[in-house]
Amino acid sequence: MLAEQIANGVVVGGLYALVALGFTLVFGLLDKLNFAHGEVVTLAGFVALVAVQLGASVWLAIPIVIVVTGLSGLLIELLSFRAFTSKEGHSVSALSSFALGIVILEVVRLEYGAAPLNLAIPTTIYTSGISILGAPIPWVKLATLGISVVLMIGLHVVVGHTRLGRQIRAVGEAPTSAMLLGIHVTRVIQYVFVVASALAGISGLLIAMQGGFVSSEVGFTFALKGIAIMAIGGMGDLRGAVLAGLLIGIAEGIAIHYGLGGFSDVLVWLVMIAVLLIRPEGLLGGGRREVRA
Amino acid sequence: MTGRIVAGLEGVAKAFGGLRAVDGVSLDIPAGEVVGIIGPNGAGKTVLINLITGFYHASDGQITIADHNVTQWTLHQIGRLGVARTFQNIRLFRRLSVLENVMVANPAFTAHPLRGLLALSPRRQGRDEAMDLLALFGLADRADQSAGELAYGDARRLEIARALATRPRLLLLDEPAAGMNDRETEALVDDIRKVKPRLEAIALIEHDMSLIRALADRVVAMNYGRIIAEGATGTVLSHPKVVEAYLGQEES
Amino acid sequence: MIANLLSTENIVFTGVNILLAWSVYLTLMTGTLSFAMAAFMGIGAYVSGILTAKFGWPLVPAALVGTLACLAGGILVGFPALRVRGLYLMLVTTGVTLVVKVAIENIEYVGGVGGMGGLRGTTPELVLASVVVIGGALWLLSRTPLQRIMDAAREDENVAASLGINIVFIRVAGFAAGAALAGYAGALYGHYIIFIAPEQFDILYSVFIALYVVLGGVNNLWGPVLGAVVITMLPEVVREFGVMSSGFRSARQLIFAGALVLLLLVRPAGILAFRRLSIRAGRGRVPVGST
Repeated sequence: MLAEQIANGVVVGGLYALVALGFTLVFGLLDKLNFAHGEVVTLAGFVALVAVQLGASVWLAIPIVIVVTGLSGLLIELLSFRAFTSKEGHSVSALSSFALGIVILEVVRLEYGAAPLNLAIPTTIYTSGISILGAPIPWVKLATLGISVVLMIGLHVVVGHTRLGRQIRAVGEAPTSAMLLGIHVTRVIQYVFVVASALAGISGLLIAMQGGFVSSEVGFTFALKGIAIMAIGGMGDLRGAVLAGLLIGIAEGIAIHYGLGGFSDVLVWLVMIAVLLIRPEGLLGGGRREVRA
Repeated sequence: MTGRIVAGLEGVAKAFGGLRAVDGVSLDIPAGEVVGIIGPNGAGKTVLINLITGFYHASDGQITIADHNVTQWTLHQIGRLGVARTFQNIRLFRRLSVLENVMVANPAFTAHPLRGLLALSPRRQGRDEAMDLLALFGLADRADQSAGELAYGDARRLEIARALATRPRLLLLDEPAAGMNDRETEALVDDIRKVKPRLEAIALIEHDMSLIRALADRVVAMNYGRIIAEGATGTVLSHPKVVEAYLGQEES
Repeated sequence: MIANLLSTENIVFTGVNILLAWSVYLTLMTGTLSFAMAAFMGIGAYVSGILTAKFGWPLVPAALVGTLACLAGGILVGFPALRVRGLYLMLVTTGVTLVVKVAIENIEYVGGVGGMGGLRGTTPELVLASVVVIGGALWLLSRTPLQRIMDAAREDENVAASLGINIVFIRVAGFAAGAALAGYAGALYGHYIIFIAPEQFDILYSVFIALYVVLGGVNNLWGPVLGAVVITMLPEVVREFGVMSSGFRSARQLIFAGALVLLLLVRPAGILAFRRLSIRAGRGRVPVGST
């Protein structure tokens, strides 16, 4: 049923947008791509698994995941970004962070293999729920959407209306002037990596919750979508990324309804190529060199 | 001497947002002359050179070089027409050697890059001509050094040598004496005089008035994107508007 | 141990990876980091594979047709794509690889997702000869004016353009030449492994080729060779010394990726990152007018 697929599309699109926001934040700040971001999504699921296996409750596992993924952001910044300030730094950071992503992924795989692992999640969150316009929406989807929306609003408030947000925007626009104004540029960059990675961590949890399992594949899948969505939204434009994520999610839902699900992976990249070549400033337009709330 | 116009500007303007950096400039650079362009910082001199060389495209007006309307031409088209320049903030290919910087400008290959595949011997690549040019600027014994290692004065001279290697008709020099001491500036005057016969015309942006006096046949003074005085060097340098423009800058 | 390192499989894979690394290097020379190499590799393998498996052509002419197809494809993709630069181009070329893979998956004539078999004919001798010939050609290129023009275009494209160099032409030429070389390598690869499928020409392959090149360094011909040889041979060496027999695939990538992260921190331009002069002033020559 179409309404159901569109509703699914909105939920999935929200997840795409969350992942894309992490890419967008870093790109808006540094003009650099953090290819390790997707593997932080993967990491989150497995950290949760380990925490629960070690006896932590689900409610304790969540903050643990947020802290661990947030800290992984610091590591990514240190290893793959801080040193590369030359003209070729953009490419070197991209490749280095890609390699770092492989490190994270392979560590997970060495320990847990490549097969998905089930999480013991009560099935009621999948089977019961509410109905909107005749489309059944299970609790898990409602919760996912709700958390996604809260996080997006939170990010909007932080970037748009706080001191840290002003500093982030200042560094994104002109790092040298920001430094002269007394902003601790490295610290701001670290904050952004922590926030972006923690977002990836929460996305990873939400993604694991969708199917009730963790898998080492999800990070790469969502990263491919997230990067394309970041570009469609306009490299560094937060609102654009959210809008693009939702649109792509809904488009995929419609494609699945008409039996074209196989093309959904490539659809987003075709759209991205078209946007980059025709309208590189993204959906909403405007400047691309700064973080915008 | 007089008559033929190498480069002509007609009502040329360039706006960046609301700022009209060049605001309706008309100017002829005739064959055989060295035209000095002076004016306080921000007067629009470098923007003017960027417009003539195709780094910027004019918002308004027309630029003619060697009887071609080049207003919308790309950088390489204008370069091939015989316009070469240097930069206020020296822009050498820092990782290439001094010799390579000059040889890369050889018009036999810049215009037909694939022809370069057939030129395997140094002679056919034009090494001898490039070395002669380096010798002219006293850089021959630095030929194999990487350009990024050059001292400031040498780097400035190499940029001029590279520009000349394109065999231009018009050479645009953007503050060639900036950062040089008096002795170096005097040597630069000699160098420019030496290469003058190879060119149809030279345009010279400079703050160093001794260089302007020594080289320019004619001076154009600019302020706020417009030409405020134009004519023989001595006349323009003592023109009240010019004096005022420079004094105004010193006060601020 | 040496005998194992020089097994047919190792020679072919190392040779193919050297050719692929050079294809990235050739493109990078004009300042473009392309992630489309797996796509062109796939096009080269499929086009030549159709000719050999379905029409009975011998390998070499079929591989050359595959190469030409990729040259044309490179020009076709390059013209629009090279309007963007840097990371934007990296993303566009990533998209090209993803799109080509899905396109092949949907062509029934070549077996779709299931792949296509019956590709034969690649010998270690052919691979070695290809590496020597192409390496020789690249070495000759490094001594020509074209090399300098590409270097200049990469260093400062606006200044290069103002000297009269058509930057668009140079960038498209570098991109298309790299695409053609990747296509040729793909043809050799396909005709060694006999059976090809779209999944082999995945985006990860593209990134790994770029990583080989980064590992070796991009300022001269030998960096990419070093990177390709190390990466292809390393697992064999590790196996020979009996390190990590289980979980091997993971360990190999883990070691490679971890080493790369650390290497980039120490030497961001790669191990062999020195630049060779394309020409020297020449010995004993006293230039006119020098003192």
